Amino acid sequence: MKKLGSESLADLSAGAVFLATGGGGDPYVAELITKAALDKFGPVDLLDPDDLDDDAFVVALGGVGAPTVSLELLPSINDAVDTLRAFEERFGKKIDAVVSFEVGGANSLIPIIAAAGMGIPVIDGDGMGRALPEAQMMTYPISGVLPTPALTTDYRGAVTEFHTKNILEFELEIRQCALSSGGMITSAEHPMTGRQLKASIVPRTITFSVELGRLLREYRGNAHRIFEPMAALFANSIYGGVHHLYTGKVVDSSTKIIGGYDVGEATIASFEGYGSPLKISIKNEYLLAQIGGKTVASVPDLITILDYETSTPINAERLRFGQRVTVYGVGCPAFYRTEKALGFVAPRCFGFDFDYQPIESLALSAKPALPT
Amino acid sequence: MRIGIDVGGTHTDAVLIDGDSVISSTKALTSVDVTSGILEALENILSDSGVLESSVEAVMLGTTQFTNAVVERKKLSEVAAIRIGLPSGVGLPPKIGWPEDISRSLGDHGYMVHGGTLYDGRPVAELDWSEINKVIADIKSKNLDTVAISAAFSPMTSQPELDVAAQLRRAIPEVNITCSHSLGRLGLLERENAALLNASLLKFADSVVTAFTDALRQRGLKCRFFVSQNDGTLMDAEFVRQFPALTFASGPTNSLRGACKLTGLNDAIVVDLGGTTADIGILQGGFPRESNVVIDVGGVRTNFRMPDILSLGLGGGSLVTDEGRSIGPESVGHNLVTQGLAFGGSVMTATDLLVAAGKTTIGPNQSPVRLPTQTIENGLRTIASMLNQGIEKMMPSSDPMPVILVGGGAILVADKLEAASEMYCPEHSGVANAIGAAIAQIGGEVESLLCYQDIPREHAIKKISDEAKLIAINAGADPKTVRIADIEETTISYMAEGSTRLRIKAVGDIPHQAKGFIA
Repeated sequence: MKKLGSESLADLSAGAVFLATGGGGDPYVAELITKAALDKFGPVDLLDPDDLDDDAFVVALGGVGAPTVSLELLPSINDAVDTLRAFEERFGKKIDAVVSFEVGGANSLIPIIAAAGMGIPVIDGDGMGRALPEAQMMTYPISGVLPTPALTTDYRGAVTEFHTKNILEFELEIRQCALSSGGMITSAEHPMTGRQLKASIVPRTITFSVELGRLLREYRGNAHRIFEPMAALFANSIYGGVHHLYTGKVVDSSTKIIGGYDVGEATIASFEGYGSPLKISIKNEYLLAQIGGKTVASVPDLITILDYETSTPINAERLRFGQRVTVYGVGCPAFYRTEKALGFVAPRCFGFDFDYQPIESLALSAKPALPT
Repeated sequence: MRIGIDVGGTHTDAVLIDGDSVISSTKALTSVDVTSGILEALENILSDSGVLESSVEAVMLGTTQFTNAVVERKKLSEVAAIRIGLPSGVGLPPKIGWPEDISRSLGDHGYMVHGGTLYDGRPVAELDWSEINKVIADIKSKNLDTVAISAAFSPMTSQPELDVAAQLRRAIPEVNITCSHSLGRLGLLERENAALLNASLLKFADSVVTAFTDALRQRGLKCRFFVSQNDGTLMDAEFVRQFPALTFASGPTNSLRGACKLTGLNDAIVVDLGGTTADIGILQGGFPRESNVVIDVGGVRTNFRMPDILSLGLGGGSLVTDEGRSIGPESVGHNLVTQGLAFGGSVMTATDLLVAAGKTTIGPNQSPVRLPTQTIENGLRTIASMLNQGIEKMMPSSDPMPVILVGGGAILVADKLEAASEMYCPEHSGVANAIGAAIAQIGGEVESLLCYQDIPREHAIKKISDEAKLIAINAGADPKTVRIADIEETTISYMAEGSTRLRIKAVGDIPHQAKGFIA
């Protein structure tokens, strides 16, 4: 079986920031604590979903709340394990393996901490293949997995149980719980069998994120030069093709909180100053990219902003006036293009007056020009 | 009149300024003990100008000593770290992620206790005095006298840090303490690291301030003195004894501020050309543009304010190779005056290209340097294209901006750069950093996480602005000149609507007349 040790963590979290498409928060603290856990307990087994027993019992685990809060209210090394143990005790089920909500951001790492501490495997895959803001957008509920019984723990170890079978109610309840428990909680939810998991997971995204992070490290430098190797990596993945959307300078970036989310817009103008700028709509993640009113990419396809000089992915909270950036779009995993999935993740679900069209039918040009 | 002094790795520069005009300037070599180099520079400008000691109102010092102490892991004290945050953060002890050598320099004295606050001001846990007293007893038994204290959300609620500091002082009256909330921003680990580095420099800072005070007195100067910090503002001597870490990266800041003063331009690109590097920074509204990235000081992650600087391996002493097609990053540095061709040496440097081209005269004999025409042409083109590309990377928009050249290597740029709308190489540009130190202002900054539903936005901004102004005034700024220099608002995702991180900085001039004396 594949092992995942602390030597892969830096690459995993770098790849996870790319796949977080602007959301997910700074993974530094999560990376430190995961390293501490792997140093203490040794590498974890990274289990391919195909190798999981059909009758195995799996739960999805991750943080829910404001990433900014974890910069002060630090996570503890035992949070993830305590949450799974409480789940086993309260609901009388032994957990055989743990799986991630979303590969984007810090939630790619939390199941690894739990797996290390519990001595169980972590599944190679996740419930989004990216980052998205709400629970009902995960592949697990869309595929019919019930969110509960679920429970959360907060920084004190206080446990809250959830029993609603309605995913939208569950999202509302758990969000309120996070707000009243210091802003960040750990949630064990969407209990499922191996069979259910195989039918709903976005497979092998942990391995992919490590490979993507390694590529970003090895090719650190101009964001146009990284295109070819990156396109080659995505070509052999569950994702679609990579499309260069824009290169330029951030001339405006503002978000405000609407309904508990960061909602706003970033404008990127070309270096030369002519041509229409690229506008990106944000709701925690980069959701919609438009040039001169024409959509060039939209959720659920991935939109990622890289630093032009270093190709380091930049999340929305670090986007600043004057930054020189390259914007790439990537086709989402096929799951999200089904009618059923689009019912939860299409642009209209985020309030955009636009029917989803795949990025390959929208993007203007595939390849960026190499710098002279 | 004011004196500005910049202590760099090789040179100690000093300038005497009266209002807006530079009366006198000098360059001396930085001495091993630092103080005698400063005394030499002081002696030079005072005797050159014939100005009376009593007419000097203030002396401003820019120094790299504290940065170098951290980078070289020298002169650092052992520090006990007390983090107030349990039950959160188990497994993330103080100094996690530090390079081993600097971690060892500070000793193995990390403690974690219960307490701190949540984003909404409620306690993470109540302080447990028996737990705290046990920690204090352990610190006492190790004979430690320097402590850094941090707590969850202390920039919003500093009371837990203050309570533990007070208890420490009762038990160990002579203890030196740095509380993390006094170093600003959200980000517990980065703020705690900053507090630890600062605490480890407290004793060194004390000796530096004392030595400098003595040097001034020895030279008959009885005025106040200030030390410049990384954001272009000043601290008074007592403040430096408490916050030496705030001097990190003050060198590039001073050269940017000096360039602003020398040209009167508030928005420009500044290229500081030295012996080994060209440091490119941006002036925005008369102050350096700050860096967006997390700042690493000697391998330790911190959240200090730092100017956004791009360093290129191009300076007066840079080696020229491949017939001028390649320059730097290797440099003869301050050995230019013995090894460069223009000085009778045998190494072809960037300076020699300019001499050979007849663009400048330098060296003991002003002897011409002969180089193949092709090498000169290639070399000048390489210098220009390196600088053009560097400036391009830093420019806030594609509109050409004025470029100000400062530093001893400014002679490298003989012709106008394409990336520049206009070029400025003002008189005294060689000592721009000392001028920047001389004109620095006093600032104060406050950051807070609040909810505009609880306190209306205008009230919140007013309240935080007043706090920032008070900090600046307490640090020595003239209350009449204090103004708000920067307001930054950041909304916090997922939290209640209107939750915002508000950071406000106030700056003010140093009182024109000496306000008290050092003695």
